[in-house]
Amino acid sequence: MRAVEPWVETPLTEFLRESSAHLVLLMTSSGQVVAQHGFARSVDVMGCASLGAAISASTAEIAKIMGVGSLGQVVHQGGTRRVLLGSFPMRHGGNWLGLIVFGDDTSIGVVQVFFARLANALHRAAPVARESRQILAEQFEDELNASLRSLFGR
Amino acid sequence: MPLVNFTTREITCKLVYYGPGRSGKTTNLLYVHGRVPEPRRGRMISLATHGDRTLFFDFLPIDLGAISGFTTRFQLYTVPGQVYYAATRRLVLQGADGVVFVADSQARRFDENLESLRDLQDNLLEQGIDAREFPMVLQYNKQDLPRELILAPDALEDSLNFRGVPSFAADALHGGGVFETLKAASSLILRRLSQGAAS
Repeated sequence: MRAVEPWVETPLTEFLRESSAHLVLLMTSSGQVVAQHGFARSVDVMGCASLGAAISASTAEIAKIMGVGSLGQVVHQGGTRRVLLGSFPMRHGGNWLGLIVFGDDTSIGVVQVFFARLANALHRAAPVARESRQILAEQFEDELNASLRSLFGR
Repeated sequence: MPLVNFTTREITCKLVYYGPGRSGKTTNLLYVHGRVPEPRRGRMISLATHGDRTLFFDFLPIDLGAISGFTTRFQLYTVPGQVYYAATRRLVLQGADGVVFVADSQARRFDENLESLRDLQDNLLEQGIDAREFPMVLQYNKQDLPRELILAPDALEDSLNFRGVPSFAADALHGGGVFETLKAASSLILRRLSQGAAS
């Protein structure tokens, strides 16, 4: 498991234990990866996050246009594995998304129950106010330029 | 706001290439994809029509390396330029940390540049973003076309760059100006991050 914020780890560990999900990807609604479990190197995590965010955003827009209220979750019934994509609100504003891949060793109902618990646990665990911290040094541009030059072979 | 992981010391930023249809947004990403060594880039995803026109977006993650001790990644997105894809443009723009506006230098496409620039301003405003404070770079693409077909960078600058943001003449097909544009945009985004607070 890999998580951007340490407070995500406990609720996610609990979710994995109880739901028997194979892969889990948590992301912001703009497609930034927050946490993941089970992704092998061959699976493009960032690509999955960008596409998951796109599906969620476009589904929400379709729901709005069709006047059917919000569609909180989308489920894809695959051949051997299923995918659940759901969004939930976070305490510090905005929504997070969960992309859950699971197999025959569990069921959609079980995954949905524990996904709702995960969403609640993350909502409770999230810090109310975000801490301000110094990130980049004042003179970061030399390093940025050197990195870009090496990246483009210049 | 860029996503910052203080535990693993990683920064992830979202940069969106905006502009009218066929101005060269996807071409910019394809050039970056072709030049950046494989270990430093992810897979490029293109949601396109059969005619290779962008339908939803293109996506390319690149690893800029360590900056101030943080592994810095940029996620490059394009939007579909055609007027009727307004809804998908708004979706892709969500959460963007900066924008590269790719203008088509052809004289006959001038009005479409203006329209797309207005569309960008409207969409930023809709997200509660003050366009005057938002990291943005202009690129005047297709400067390799015959002179009689295009507007010179100075003329485009007078007409499009009313904010006085960094701007670059480009020929994205052959890579001219692509590197400079990306460098300026990433610098603006990281400068803003260094001046503000992170979450």
